[in-house]
Parts: sequence; C-alpha cells; structure tokens
Amino acid sequence: MGDKKKKGKSRRDKGRDRAFLFFTAPGFILYSFFFIMPVLMGFYYSATDWDGISKNYNFIGFDNYVKIFRTGQFTDALFFTIKYTVLLVVLTIVLGLAIAMLLNRKIKGRTFFRGIYFIPAVLSSLTVGLIFNKICYYIIPVIGKALHIHALSQNPLADKNLAMWTILFVNLWQGLCIPTLLFLAGLQSVPTDLYDGAALDGASAWDIFRYITIPFILPVVSVVFVLTLKGGLMVFDYIKAMTEGGPGSSTRSVAMLIYKHGFTQNKYAFAIAEAIFMGLVVAAISAVQIYFTNKKKAV
Amino acid sequence: MVEGRKQNNVLTYIILILGILLIILPLYVTFVTALKSDAQSSKSFFTLPIPIYLESFKEILSSERYWRAFINTVYITAIVLAGNIVIMPAMSYAVARKMPVSTAYRLVYYFLLLGIFIPFQVKMMPLVKLLSALNMMNPTGLAILCISSSTCESVFLFVGYMGAIPPDMEEAAWIDGAGTLRTYSSVVFPLLKPMLATVLIKQGLWIWNDFMLPLITLNKGWQDWTLTLFQYNFQTEYSVNYSLTFATFVASMLPLLIFYCFMQKAIIGGLTSGAVKS
Repeated sequence: MGDKKKKGKSRRDKGRDRAFLFFTAPGFILYSFFFIMPVLMGFYYSATDWDGISKNYNFIGFDNYVKIFRTGQFTDALFFTIKYTVLLVVLTIVLGLAIAMLLNRKIKGRTFFRGIYFIPAVLSSLTVGLIFNKICYYIIPVIGKALHIHALSQNPLADKNLAMWTILFVNLWQGLCIPTLLFLAGLQSVPTDLYDGAALDGASAWDIFRYITIPFILPVVSVVFVLTLKGGLMVFDYIKAMTEGGPGSSTRSVAMLIYKHGFTQNKYAFAIAEAIFMGLVVAAISAVQIYFTNKKKAV
Repeated sequence: MVEGRKQNNVLTYIILILGILLIILPLYVTFVTALKSDAQSSKSFFTLPIPIYLESFKEILSSERYWRAFINTVYITAIVLAGNIVIMPAMSYAVARKMPVSTAYRLVYYFLLLGIFIPFQVKMMPLVKLLSALNMMNPTGLAILCISSSTCESVFLFVGYMGAIPPDMEEAAWIDGAGTLRTYSSVVFPLLKPMLATVLIKQGLWIWNDFMLPLITLNKGWQDWTLTLFQYNFQTEYSVNYSLTFATFVASMLPLLIFYCFMQKAIIGGLTSGAVKS
C-alpha cells in the first residue's frame, strides 16, 4: 500500500506507521463502539417486537415499519413536522438573507449590531424555550388584555392555532443567528467592482440581486437549507420546553413522538423503527445536497 | 439619488434597531424579573428592578442542586474538550497524511463521515441500553459518549484543514531526524491551533447547552443533573414563583454570556467557519 515507491520499509517508516495507527485507534474504537454499534443495534431491534424491558422478544421483520404508517400518530406527527420544517426553512432563508443584506450596507456600528444579533446563538435552546414559555404564560396575556388584542389575551402556547407559530417564532429568534452570519460572509465575498460595474451599466437593484448576489451566495443558501432542514425535521428542545407536544397533540413533532414512545410508553422497537425512518429521510437529503455541491465544484 | 440613499439608510437603522429590541426584550425581562420580587413584577414586568431584590439569587446560589448541576456541566464539558484536544488532531493528522497512499485509512475516513448523516434519534434508544449495561449512566459516561459522538465532525474539520497545510515543514523535521511523535507535537499540532479553537468552541457550546442526551441518561437523581436538566426540572416543581424561575435562567445563562462578552470574535468565527466549508 504505502510502499509502492521502495521495496521494504526502513525501520523509521515502520515506526511512523505504528505511531499513526496509535493516533487513529482511540477515536476509531470510541466511534465504532458508541456511535456505529447503537445504530446497528437499532436496526436489529427494529425488526423485533421488543418492549425494551422483557427478556423475550420475537422477530417480526419489517412489520414495525408498516405499522408506523397504519397508526395515525406517526403520520400526524410527520405531517406537523413537515409543515413546521417547510415554514422554518423558507422563513430562515428569506429573513436571514434580508437581515444579512441590511447588515452588509455601509452603516455605522455594524460590529455592534452583529454582536447583539449573535447573542441568542450561544444560549441553550432549552433555556430559550423555557424563557419564552414563561413569557407566554405570565406576560403575553397581560399585554394582550391591555391592548385589547383578543388573540393574545391568553397564553398563545395553549391555543391550538397559535402554538405552532409561537414555537416557530422562538425557533427563528435563536435559529436565525448562524444563517444570517453565513449569508453575511457570503455577501462579503462578492467583489465590489462587480456591483460598481453593474451600477454604471444602469442595472436595476433587482437585476443586481438576481444576477450578481444570488449566484455568489447560492452555496451558502444550500448549506443553510440543509442545516435548517435537519434542525426542523428533528425539532425537540423547543417543543419539550414550551408545549410538550400540546395542546392535545397539535405540536407533536416526530422527535417528540419517538421520545414518548421509546421512553414513556415501552414501545421500544416501534419507536426505533420511527427513528430509523426519519434518519433515512435526513440522510437522503444530506446525500443529495453533497452530490449537488460536489457536482457544481467539478463543473 | 443621494436623498434616496439617505432615506434607505434611515430605514435600515430603524429595522435593525427593531431587531435589537426583539432580541434584547426577552433577555431584559428575564434579568429584571429575576431581580424583582413577585409583588413588584405583578405590577409591571417591564420596569427596572428598583429597589433591587436579591432573595431569589441568594436562594439559587445557596442551593446545593444548582452548584451540583454547575459542577457536573463544567466536568462533562472539560472532559469532552480534553478528549477532543488529545484524540482528534492526532487522529486527523494520521488520516490526512495516510489517506492518499493507504486504502485502509481512506476507508476509516469514509467510515467516520457516515456519522455526519445519522441523526441522533436513530442511535438514541440503543445507546441508553448500551450505557446502562456498562454502568455508564453518569456524567463520566456521558462525557465519554460525547467524545465518541464528536469524532466524525471534529475529524472532518481537521482533515479538511490539514489539506491546506503543505507537508514541507513536517518533512523537514522528519529529515532532521525527529520522530513521528516529535514531528506531530512540535510542528503539526501548533499549525492546527486555529482549527482547534473552532472545534473546541463548537463542541464546548454543544455539550454545555445539550438537553436531550442528559435528559435520557442523567435524569435519575439530582446528583447527576446538568444545568439544562436543573432548569427543566426546576420549572416543573416551582412554576408559581416568577422571580425564582427567571433567576434559575439567569444563573444558567450568565456563564455563557460572560464567555460571549470576552470571546465574541472567536465564538462567531468558530460557529460559522466550519459550516461554510462543509
């Protein structure tokens, strides 16, 4: 393998190979044991009817994967999660790009604005969820009543129609930080003489955006797209902190359902099948994105 | 034309300042409510804390549970970061330099990349079985687990970074007679430091703020709680008291906010640089 050039290795080369093996082994062993093995165990259990506790279980093949689509719970959660994710992705890209373009203008105090806008990114999503939970519970109704806004005169998280939008708002409050900074970095990579030239040629603002800005930031858009998509499809912390999936099951995401089935209802193997299905969706999306970015580089 | 641009700038400022209010207001309410008595807060949530009320903070800071959670969080984060410093750069060095000549190392690299595609939920439930079978449902066990989970992302970032470092300097050290370990520690490791900062910030913030892993592995008794578990369990127990509830949030956020004040540039760099490259 490594000895194509010369036949037989010197003692030093052998020592080097041994050192490299020694460097690689700890991480490789930890990763295989605590990352890949549970995944394989999951595939194995998903083909059984194990409840997670009893000693005996039977092999039932792909029955769990068929069953998850027969009960309404999973499809309802899947439908909620897809709706939530689509809204999250669209709003993140539109608002993140808009804020980044504002921050990219020649204005005073740009570092100050950036410093403040980035604060939410360092906080725990659980803390953020809990803070907004309390704000919705204690403060929003007071404001709503004072301003005579009927919709806000009670806790929006207890309202079936508003709960999802409230969670989405909180998710964006924190989740916009990193995409905005990525867009900002993308915008700053556009050579300014391109803009100047276009302005001299009398291009409209829209043309400049369409033909100069968009092509330059397209790679960033694709990164943000996938990051947000993964976050949305697996949303858990915000929902756990704010509604626990309620009211009723109106904000129950797939990750919430998996947690509930797996840890509180002893539907162990069933919950693993749900998780693996979602995992395959996420993996497929990542693979498609990587395929397309690599293709673009090759061209 | 100039007039229009000026108006545009005014509009930009107005929108950006509204955005700042939107970000600051929830944090402001959190801080002032923690510093007011419930009687003060029920008059208005938005007034400044005059007179300042410190009882809630005294209660949190004298609570054994808070300090235990704080120490557990620091402990777990420290082990994970130490593990990342010791294991990941060395492993990435070996993988990056061996990949072009060795199929085995190429396979190791692709094997590690696999992890990036697998969402946490897929391994979540078997992981709990595995940890409890090994008697690892404790902070140390969680830390070892987190090091293992960070392998794929960390190695991916380091290997990408190694690609941009020409091997000339190592080869010079090698020809001068330095061993592999020596070459690594005195030439390669220092060159990797910028990426190490990125990796440590990424991993550190992730571990410190993580909720789901502690929830499924450490929620048996308060002795094992992390700060996120402390907050979560606290608010389900004492949800009636405004001041105390918000004081727990402040006590948990403050270390992060202080860290952010001093390390802002490094943090922003750390959280954005890896994402652009991948």
